[in-house]
This record gives sequence, C-alpha cells and structure tokens, in this order.
Amino acid sequence: MSLPVYIGAESIISSLGRNAAVNFKRICQGLSGITLHKQLGWKESDVYLSRIPELPERGKFLHLLNAVLDDLHQGWDADMLSSPDTQVIISSTKGGISDDLKNPFHPAVTALVARYSLVNRPLILSNACISGVIAINLAARMIRNELCRHVIVLGCDLISDFILYGFQSLYAVSDLPCKPFDQDRRGVTLGDGCGRVILSRDKSTFSSKPMVYLGGSDANDANHISGPSRTGEGLVRAVEKALIASNVNPDQIGFINAHGTGTLYNDEMEAIAFHRLGLDSIPLNSLKGYWGHTLGAAGVIETATCLQSLRNGILPASLGYENPGTTKPLHILKDNRPFDGEIILKTASGFGGGNAALLIQKE
Amino acid sequence: MKEKATYCRMNPHGVFVNGRQKVSFNEIAVEDALTEMYRNLALEYPKFYKMDLLSKVAFLGVELLKTVDPSLVSTQNDDQIGLLFANSEGSTHTDMRFQESYLVDLLPSPSLFVYTLPNIALGEIAIRNKWHGAHMFAVFPNFVPVYYADHGKIMLEEGAKVVIGGWLDVREKLDALFFVMDEGLVNNRENILHFVSKCYSN
Repeated sequence: MSLPVYIGAESIISSLGRNAAVNFKRICQGLSGITLHKQLGWKESDVYLSRIPELPERGKFLHLLNAVLDDLHQGWDADMLSSPDTQVIISSTKGGISDDLKNPFHPAVTALVARYSLVNRPLILSNACISGVIAINLAARMIRNELCRHVIVLGCDLISDFILYGFQSLYAVSDLPCKPFDQDRRGVTLGDGCGRVILSRDKSTFSSKPMVYLGGSDANDANHISGPSRTGEGLVRAVEKALIASNVNPDQIGFINAHGTGTLYNDEMEAIAFHRLGLDSIPLNSLKGYWGHTLGAAGVIETATCLQSLRNGILPASLGYENPGTTKPLHILKDNRPFDGEIILKTASGFGGGNAALLIQKE
Repeated sequence: MKEKATYCRMNPHGVFVNGRQKVSFNEIAVEDALTEMYRNLALEYPKFYKMDLLSKVAFLGVELLKTVDPSLVSTQNDDQIGLLFANSEGSTHTDMRFQESYLVDLLPSPSLFVYTLPNIALGEIAIRNKWHGAHMFAVFPNFVPVYYADHGKIMLEEGAKVVIGGWLDVREKLDALFFVMDEGLVNNRENILHFVSKCYSN
C-alpha cells in the first residue's frame, strides 16, 4: 500500500474574493465574478471577463504567487516553506507574459526563491488547461516516491491581450457569461485566477483538517491539438486510470467537479466520456460560471473548491446551467445541495489533447 | 537494460542519432533542414507543414528515435509510452509570432495561437503515433538531468513501458535532445544521470 498523502491548506484568489472560505461562501450564494468589460476585447469589442480587482499594473503574476504564499500560515506550518523537504510546483500556461513575452516564468520563480528562502527551485508545469490537475498528481507522486515530504501546488494565470485575442480569434469566447453544459452555451469566459493546495505526508503540518488524496492520472486524446475528441477517449482513459490508482469503484464517487468550459465541443465531449464511464447519474458541476476559465489556475482553484465542499458538506450549483445541452444527459446540479458523500472526482481537459483526473476523500 | 540506449541530439551544427551525425546545418537554415529531413524520412504526414518550429523539432526527434529503437514501434499498448519533456522557453518562439499577428498584422492568427502552449508539441507526437499515455511539460532555466531521472522512474513505475525524455529549445538556437528510458536505465540513478548528461553534452 502506498503512503497516504494528505491534501489541504487551500487558498483561492479570484474575482469573488481573496481566500478559499470567502470564494466558497460567494459561490454558495450563487454570485458570479463575471462582468462586462467595455471595449477591452479585440477591435475594442465588449467582452465578459472575470477579473481580480486591485492588481498592480505590472508584476501581477508574482504579486498573486506572493499573496498565496504569504497567507500560508493560515492553513499550514509556514516554517516548513523553506525546508529542504518542501517542493513548490507552479501550474501556469502563460505566467507573466504581459510583463515579458520572452521570459514569462523565470523572473517570478527567482523572486520567490529569494523572498521565501526556498531550498528547492519551484517546478513550472505548463500543460495548457490540465496543468493544475497534473501538478497536484505530480505532487502526490513526488511524495509517494519520497522525493520530498511536502509539496505546495500553486496555480496562476491572468487575462492578457495575448490570451483574450487568441481565444477571440478562435471564436471561442462567449458573448454572454459562460453557461457550461447548457443548451445555449456559446463558449468560454476567461478569468484571472490564483490558488494553492498543499500535499503532505504529515497530517500534523496542517492547521485545519486535511483531506486524503487518493490518486490521479492523465491521458492524451491523440486526436487533435485544439479540438476535443468526439469520443472522449482521453478523458475516459484518464478517469479509468485514476480510479485504478485510487482503488475506487465508480459507485463510490459522490460528486464530480468537471472541466465544463462552456464551449459546444468540450462539454459534449465530457458528457460522452462520463456516459461511457457510467458516471452520468453522479451529481456534477462546472465552476466556470462563477469565475470563468482560469486556465493554469483552474485545476488548483477548482480542487480547492472541492476541498471546501468536503469541509462544508455543500455541493454548489453549476452556475449558468438551465437546460440539458449535450447528447448524453448528465446529472448537473441546478441548485446547491447538501453533501454527505466522501469521494470527489475532479477532471480537466485541454488544448494539446490532454485530459487529467484526480480523486480526493474526506478523512 | 537495453544493450544500447537511444538518443537524438539536435544543435546548431546538425542532427545526431546515437552520436552519429545524420544532418549538417552548416550550409542551410535550420527550418529548411528540418523540412528536408522530413522529406528524407519519407513520412507522408502533411500535417508536419502546419506545425510550429517547436512541434516540428519534437516530431522529427521522435521519428528519428523510432528509426533506431524498435521498442517505440513494437510497444503494443498505446497507453504505455510516456512523454517527459521540458525546455527553458515554453512556447516563446510562437508566442512572439502570434503577438506580431495582432500588433503588426492587426489580425490575431488562430493557426498561430493554437501553438502558443509548449505541450502542443506533445499533442502532435501523441496524434502522430496514436499514443494515449501520460505526458508532462516543465519549464526550467536550463537543462536539468535530475528531472528526467526522477520523473522518468516514476512514470515507468506507474505503468509506462518506455518513456521518451525530451529537451526542446528552439528560439535563439536549436538545442534539443530526445532519448529513450526504460526500467533498466532508470533503476540505477547514477547511470541515468550520467547517460542524460552525456547525451546533452554531445
């Protein structure tokens, strides 16, 4: 039996607030941080975005990474940050690209090493929209293989002209706040996001009760670089491997936090995959209706929200969802509901054909 | 352990497979040389022409490994080949071109934008070979042998039969390495660290 790995000390910074508890409270109140931004899009088009307020003009990426490390002591033994047993992993697609297109990651990493006296240089993972879930899976593998005892996983991405014009050029941006899985969904809404979860062998390092990380995996569609598989092949494989790694049967899963970007093809692909997996009757949501698609931060802040669901016994409604809009029906939550289950499945899918899944359990 | 470990090195001088020079870049631009390599390999995979430089280099690197390492072709289970890649520059080479498309050409190019993530190169390899296995792309300031030794071992323990390690810098100068790791190679940490460092210094 492999070493137990604990997960907790979660933090979330989004348009909804600056810590995990505030974000979860506002989510449960049905509030969305998505607002209309006049003339901010390509050719001065109006565009719906989820933006973190009061960020500095420059250095936003480092500012947010600092912010989620500065409040570390609220959930974890902060003295461990500069321990040789601790590794930081940063999940991000574009880092500080608005500051320096040619060098979006390294300056921020170097600054973190100096500011927090980190012994191990943080590892940057850049695997598109599945980066966050892959980063958490990697963290657990590093602990189980005794490469380190504790891993601090940070996820951070910011809206930039680069990202926004890119998604607009693909006609992938919704002209209304995104509506994941709904029949009228029209694309993604982009969001700023930054988050943190900590994985550790040592339960005693957490100041509030951690949950258990069971297992995870990833798989590639091997189908198309920017379009999801029509059969959900990669997601099916990722979830199947994650279930085996976790020693969990599908009927033990109490809730699924899906990727649910709000594009026609992604949500359809996920519905097909969950149907193939026999998971279509399990309560499911997407959190993108609250804070948009936060790219490399998504897997981290959404897993952090799953931890909050386990702590608070509440499954949030899938905001923006009204009517079934996929060929295979799913059990999508229209309202919040109490949760006394134990096991949550988190999935992600992204550009490059990547799919990733992980399972966490209430202690 | 295999009798001979397989690797492919690409640097500004040329392309080397297991230490033997296959292509010289001395009189030809890198991009043209890559296209010629593609033609010489007779791959009949026209998608190659649409790829960005990062993906072209990764694609050819793996194709060259396949010519000398039968385990990559004969591994039956399509889940069992892992891709463990890294570089120092992410997708900067294409990021600059995409930025130019909206700042200079005043038309953001969707065909460039889809390549503005480094893991797209892994997607191209997966599509070409129908490989569905685990894959990871990390960004370091410079080449880090320990990354491959540690994570290659973990990927192999978690079910991969073979892991392809890759280093993939293209922006300022071509600096790429592709190598095949199996259980025999990674089980001795000194061995794999020595192997990876040696391949890179060639």
